[in-house]
Amino acid sequence: MKKLILLIAVSAVAFVNANAQDFKQALQKTWNTFDTTKENSARVEMSNKLGLISKKWPDEWAAHFYNALSKAILSYNETNEAKRDAYLDEAEREREETVSLLKKENDETYVLAAMIANARLAVKPQSRWQKYGKIFDENIAKAKELNPNNPRIYYLQGTSKRFTPKMFGGGKKASLPYFEKAESLFAKENSEDVTTISWGKRINETFLKDARGEETDGE
Amino acid sequence: MKSFFTFLLSVFHLTALAQSNISGRIVDDKGKPVMGASVYLDNTLDGSSTDSFGVFKFTTTENGTQTLVATAVGYSNAGTTLKIAGDISDINLTLKNTAKTLEEVTITAGAFEASNDKDKTVLKPLDIVTTAGAQADVVRALETLPGTQKQGTQNGLFVRGGDASEAGFIIDGMVVQNAFFSGPPGVATRSRFGAFQFKGVSFSSGGYSARYGQALSSVLELSSLDLPERSTINLGANMAGVYASGSKLWKKSGGDVTAFYNNLSPFYGIVKTNFDFFDVPEGYGGSARYAFQPNKNRLVKATVSVNHFSSGIAVPNPGVPEQTIRYTLKNDNYNAQVSYKQTLKDKWIIYAAGAFSYNKDKSNFDTIGGGLIEQRSQGRLEAKYIVNTRLNILAGSDLQHFKVENNFAGFSRSIDERIVSGYAEAEWIPVYWLAFKPGLRYEHSLLLNKDNVAPRLSLAVKAGRNAQVSLATGIFYQLPDYLYLYTNKPFNQQFDFQKAIHYIVNYQFQKNDRTLRLEVYYKSYEHLLREYWTSDTADYDPNSFRSLEQNLVTGKFGINNSGYGYATGAELFWRDRKTIKNTDYWVSYSYIDTRRLYKNYLAEATPEFIATHNLNVVGKYWIERIQTQINATYSYASGRPFFNPSNPTFLGDLAPEYQSLSFTVNYLRSIGKWFTVIYAGIDNVTNHKNVFGYRYSADGKQRFPVVPALYRSYFVGINMSLSEFNKDEL
Repeated sequence: MKKLILLIAVSAVAFVNANAQDFKQALQKTWNTFDTTKENSARVEMSNKLGLISKKWPDEWAAHFYNALSKAILSYNETNEAKRDAYLDEAEREREETVSLLKKENDETYVLAAMIANARLAVKPQSRWQKYGKIFDENIAKAKELNPNNPRIYYLQGTSKRFTPKMFGGGKKASLPYFEKAESLFAKENSEDVTTISWGKRINETFLKDARGEETDGE
Repeated sequence: MKSFFTFLLSVFHLTALAQSNISGRIVDDKGKPVMGASVYLDNTLDGSSTDSFGVFKFTTTENGTQTLVATAVGYSNAGTTLKIAGDISDINLTLKNTAKTLEEVTITAGAFEASNDKDKTVLKPLDIVTTAGAQADVVRALETLPGTQKQGTQNGLFVRGGDASEAGFIIDGMVVQNAFFSGPPGVATRSRFGAFQFKGVSFSSGGYSARYGQALSSVLELSSLDLPERSTINLGANMAGVYASGSKLWKKSGGDVTAFYNNLSPFYGIVKTNFDFFDVPEGYGGSARYAFQPNKNRLVKATVSVNHFSSGIAVPNPGVPEQTIRYTLKNDNYNAQVSYKQTLKDKWIIYAAGAFSYNKDKSNFDTIGGGLIEQRSQGRLEAKYIVNTRLNILAGSDLQHFKVENNFAGFSRSIDERIVSGYAEAEWIPVYWLAFKPGLRYEHSLLLNKDNVAPRLSLAVKAGRNAQVSLATGIFYQLPDYLYLYTNKPFNQQFDFQKAIHYIVNYQFQKNDRTLRLEVYYKSYEHLLREYWTSDTADYDPNSFRSLEQNLVTGKFGINNSGYGYATGAELFWRDRKTIKNTDYWVSYSYIDTRRLYKNYLAEATPEFIATHNLNVVGKYWIERIQTQINATYSYASGRPFFNPSNPTFLGDLAPEYQSLSFTVNYLRSIGKWFTVIYAGIDNVTNHKNVFGYRYSADGKQRFPVVPALYRSYFVGINMSLSEFNKDEL
């Protein structure tokens, strides 16, 4: 009998572990595919999959976090303004779900909020910069207060500078120090576990190369 | 036991092998394929995304009864039950587009809004600043919208047959006592409003909210900024003077201070003016503002402003047009305003505000001294109850106390008035395509010892995905002009409120940065103040500075509320930011038919401030490569009536038409860390000699054109701003 109880207990633990393992594996694999693929339809498919993962494991904050992040990223590739906003509506809902599961905001949720604000601004820059520029700044400041070594803060500030018109103090050259600082901080990140947030390294490298390209042109 | 495990393993194996192919197509409510939709079996990871034909295909090991769900961003979900016992194909699901259809209707009859906070406004504050010919003046920019009359020789906003007194100006719920800078007779001055002071500008050309009263025609409602967006320093210089401002944003509060010195010598120096500015307008002043927001539910704002102006100009004598008088003016203007807003449990919004304004004009008509002191204290208290997202109810009260003291040539006249008001208004959107806004306003005037009750109603119905129809109606009351209130108190109490009733129908179509608005209206005027003669000595004096006391003592002259009139018209507004890349333009056209018998009019007539046709074409072109915006505005107004003593038809002559073409160029760049705008403009490029009417000599033999202070004018300036100067972001 004792053996049976032990067996059941071991099986139960194994099941929970396996379930968690399933979740992490599914999330890691889907996110990595999303992050490394360049084709938009494949990205949409992976983002849909992240949506399924967040539905299947509704209590896992990381599932909602990556789903929100993927929707915010997808909004940039969409041309229809209403659809871009619809993506960001979902990103906002999923970010809120993440915060409610975590029971508080942290530097990564603030970074995500800043990222969503930046994406909202990008839909109609001329009419939205005043409102969403402010929300972006506020969330970046909050994230920095909690963890000034979060590389995604500087990556986002870099992209914001990169796409701000030159006359407002933006442009490739102005963005470079931000991407460089982000890179030095990304180098210190070493996460094997998907639930320790570590997105952004790859895209930061792309922007860094782009920004450096201009510098060598002497502009 | 071994065989049992073998059996179990083979079952698992068999299950793993039992895969079913599920396929089908997802379309939208118009039958078009939905690409990128997520189609999956609920509570599983089995699913796929649709391709450009809306087709999906996936395999699953699930069997039995399952729910297939299709979701796509911007669409409502759809689902169906499947009994999986093998491959299933030809599943068809339809997703309903939600991105647009659920957008709620908004009431647009009579209303033009410019706001940064809302997406769906017709204008943005920046559009006002960059309108050529408006010289960054909110009111002049509004004169390019339908329903307004172009002015050049007098202050004020003239809306739909109404004179300048019929337009109300409001900042954060407080009445603006002196919306325009003081000026000499016959010379239009700027309004005191710059577009960047405000986060929202809402212009109603009729049928406005029950929150406001004492304006027969229109209300311009301005919402001041809350906390500054960031800490900045702003410096500027132009042909009218220099200015500096600084904003500081702390964690939960912020504020700004401004200072300016104006001297129009360079502006008037390089052009030929129509009048002799022997003492060019000069002034200085400043303001301070503080906002405190301890949390998202509470906001306190306080503002003070002080400014002083002086000028000297030789203008035609308003009483004797063949003579020129030397008019000098010294003006002091002070304002203080405090407001408090609190949200309680997301159900109640309480708003309280108080303001004090003081304005002093010290003038000389040649050697005759005059003075005008206006003081106004006011308060507003209101509460809004949010029943749910589709219904809210507002109730409030406001109190206005104002005093006017007018001295001229040793005669002193004054007004002391208190108006107490109460109002209630509801906003109800029973379904997303229908909105109602009923309201009721009550006012009591101590000076007239009269009450009025003014019901208001507006509603809007969606007329398609991008179109809507709005209706607005209501009764609007206003005190008689100061000219009549200067008479003594017992006389005042014979007067009643002047009254207007508005009926407005509006159609608005908005899609992809294109806006079409059509509006028709009818407005009746009743109980207008009218001067009458009991004998045949009736005479018309076009001098708005005339004195009535002398006539009143004769017994042959009286004033009562027997005046009346109407205004009806059709207006068109078309704005397009889409068709031509980097180009934004709007066209506004207004037709008006209006007549009235009021003031000292001898007969019912179209007033002298009315042009039957008004057209404005405003264009803005952005050249990205050279970071330059070029703006142009063309304005046309048909001739306006003027009084010719030899014409038996009262106000039967028409002045020549008005035309003006203006350009501005804005060049944007950063100089170091300073964001810089260099701007230059020419108003009335063709130097068109606009004439707003004629005045006749006492013997009627000579006539003198009524002209603006200048025809063509030039303006250049620079504005530099530095943001986040104390932050090291890295």
